[in-house]
Amino acid sequence: MTAPVSPTQVSWHHRHVLDVDVLTAGEIDLVMRTTDAMHEVLARPIPKVPALRGKNVTIIFWEASTRTRVSFEVAAKNLSADVVNIAAGTSSVTKGESLVDTIRTVEALGADMIVMRHGTSGAPYLAAEVFSGHVLNGGDGWHAHPSQALLDLYTMRAHLGDLRGRKVVILGDILHSRVARSNIWTLTAAGADLWLCGPTTILRGFEAWAARWNAGRAAPGHGRFTVTSDVDAALRDADVVMALRLQRERMDAGLLPSLREYAARYGLTRERLALARPEALVMHPGPMNEGVEIAPDVAVLDRSVITEQVANGVAVRMALLFLLAGDRSEGGIGG
Amino acid sequence: MAELRTGGVAELLEISRAWLVDPVAGREGPGELIVRDGILQAVTWLEGAEAEGIGPDGVIVAPGLLDLHVHLREPGNEDAETIATGLAAAAHGGFTTVAAMPNTTPAADEPSVLARVAAAAAASGLPVELLLHGAVTVGRAGERLAALGELADAGAVGFSDDGAPVKTPVLLRNALLYLGPFGTPIFEHAEDPGLTAGAEAHEGVVSAILGLKGWPVAGEEAAVARDLAILAAVLPDARGARLHLTHLSTAPALDLVRRAKAAGLPVTCDVTPHHLAFTDEWVAGARRWAWEALDAAGAPRDPWADGALVARPYSTACRVNPPLRSADHAAAVLAALLDGTADAVVTDHAPHAQVDKEAEFGLAANGISGVETALSVLLAAVVAGKLPLRRAIEALTTGPAAVLGARAGRRGAARGLVEGAPADLVVVDAADRWTVTAEALASKGKNTPLLGRELPGRVLLTVANGRLAYRDAEAR
Repeated sequence: MTAPVSPTQVSWHHRHVLDVDVLTAGEIDLVMRTTDAMHEVLARPIPKVPALRGKNVTIIFWEASTRTRVSFEVAAKNLSADVVNIAAGTSSVTKGESLVDTIRTVEALGADMIVMRHGTSGAPYLAAEVFSGHVLNGGDGWHAHPSQALLDLYTMRAHLGDLRGRKVVILGDILHSRVARSNIWTLTAAGADLWLCGPTTILRGFEAWAARWNAGRAAPGHGRFTVTSDVDAALRDADVVMALRLQRERMDAGLLPSLREYAARYGLTRERLALARPEALVMHPGPMNEGVEIAPDVAVLDRSVITEQVANGVAVRMALLFLLAGDRSEGGIGG
Repeated sequence: MAELRTGGVAELLEISRAWLVDPVAGREGPGELIVRDGILQAVTWLEGAEAEGIGPDGVIVAPGLLDLHVHLREPGNEDAETIATGLAAAAHGGFTTVAAMPNTTPAADEPSVLARVAAAAAASGLPVELLLHGAVTVGRAGERLAALGELADAGAVGFSDDGAPVKTPVLLRNALLYLGPFGTPIFEHAEDPGLTAGAEAHEGVVSAILGLKGWPVAGEEAAVARDLAILAAVLPDARGARLHLTHLSTAPALDLVRRAKAAGLPVTCDVTPHHLAFTDEWVAGARRWAWEALDAAGAPRDPWADGALVARPYSTACRVNPPLRSADHAAAVLAALLDGTADAVVTDHAPHAQVDKEAEFGLAANGISGVETALSVLLAAVVAGKLPLRRAIEALTTGPAAVLGARAGRRGAARGLVEGAPADLVVVDAADRWTVTAEALASKGKNTPLLGRELPGRVLLTVANGRLAYRDAEAR
């Protein structure tokens, strides 16, 4: 049994996957095609290839997560990697317990690739600077969640094909969301008509980002980026609606009056969803607060692709690990 | 000059065919000077044929520079800097006088701490003069007034809880009242912590993209507005009260100062080289100067769109408080320097040990090691045609000297290039470039985003109070 794609055939020149902002449209396509190949692997009776045999993939999560960590673990094992799991715990994100020391230790223990999640924006760039292998960002602070954005894109493309001109709405706590930030890059690159919607307290700063984007880069007719607190305007004729998890801490921080008010004004209900196109996809990066940002009966609709996102997550992560293993680029911290 | 050694008397020094800048005399032009036995013996301004071919783009001689705001870390954090390394760094930067902030451990909140620091300066053998600020409150904790009068008697040139603002408005009011009869300014770090708690970067498009907690412009503007209101309120009772707002970084805060000055309030302010020349896009990995980061309409350009991201993002060398601002605010900082709203340029030299910077961006210490690059950064603005040379030198000499008044001392910054007095000057070759490397920096703090960058303006020689403070190894 051989790898579905030979590393020598691909043109992948990133030593790390830290953010999606550095990926060209062609590179994103390459990830999508490689994900297709990984789906073929997953459909086999024994869904395993030896692409990463003998490679040590160390998964370090400084923030608690089950879904993403397990998804990476399954992906790495499907590629025959040796997987080491380290739960660093949130307590170590303090001065004096050095991220750099941890990375150096993991390297000395034989890691070839590190998959990391960290509560601080930008932490994977520091890891990439000191680690001689490959770093895959499994989520950093509010900043980026590349594998999530790529699996979201894959899921949307699987249903809608070309996303140019398609209205995609991300609804909820944009300010604190690395999922939203990474999706902004991939969806605008794909030419989607991107809408970010939520209460203005948790949209702060994005109006300026959108203005700069629309003024500078987006070609007319597609790839626009709109920010609004008007949920009806956002949902009207949408092709995709992605709800984001709302955390209780936002009330404690004085950003929102109450969960009840949020659910009433911004929760994705059947009634609101009726504004979108009849076949509009419902997405959520998980874990869901059912009854807050998404109604339980919406989450289980036929057009809800939430469990499909989870399944695609394994294939996308296999693709990223596979592409990194085949990378022959010299250095290049940014990528 | 081969016989000169650092710390020794500048016995004989002849500088011919240089561009002299003397902001005290209000004059610049071709000239020559001779230093003998530490005394500036002759200053000759050249004219006519003799002056031909001498311009401000070659060797420049200016009075020794004065930095009102440095952190020398001793006592308490000698891993980051000591008085001796800090003064050596100052000399390398062309400074012959620096004023150290009191946020040491312990804080300089009573005279014994000042005495200890002064003793360390004397023991360093370096001729750079060290001026000292005292703390406004005990331990900079913002609860009780520090020994203000005793500190002033012991020579404190200013007072500050820098690193943070004076914690409560009522203490700032009381300190301004109490210090009124002394005439010593309070150096206020203008920040409303209620708006900046947990902040990591300038609040704007870059922080939105990078997912960093924003430090809003209003956090500085609100603090300045409050401080100016308090200053106005104390004047009837304390005519000598003086407020100095340090490291202002935003357009609205500088506008408030501009208007307060026009209204006659006794307020002064300073800006830093990094706030006028660096921008928040440096946190994302850009390294172009602030004046290169604006589009034709005066709005910040998009470094993600125009290929300006050349370094890795989240470099902690770019983490500083107040944060690097967007290019439009940097332009306002430069404008304030040009129109005199900003009285001085200070470096806010903030050296840190590697361990405090080799961390996640949000957990790294704030500050840039800047005393050795300040002159070069301003010269980069001069070379770009954004800042007249004379104004750059004023902002590093007469400007800061005026802020301190009589307590500024009688070094070059206050006196200029005058014959018969101890030589106190810097010789810098604007045509020569140097590369900022860890080895090239005398400071223990290597925390600057300029590391690896070639800058204009190599300091050849710094003479402080008649003695050699720094000499470039390659200088003749």
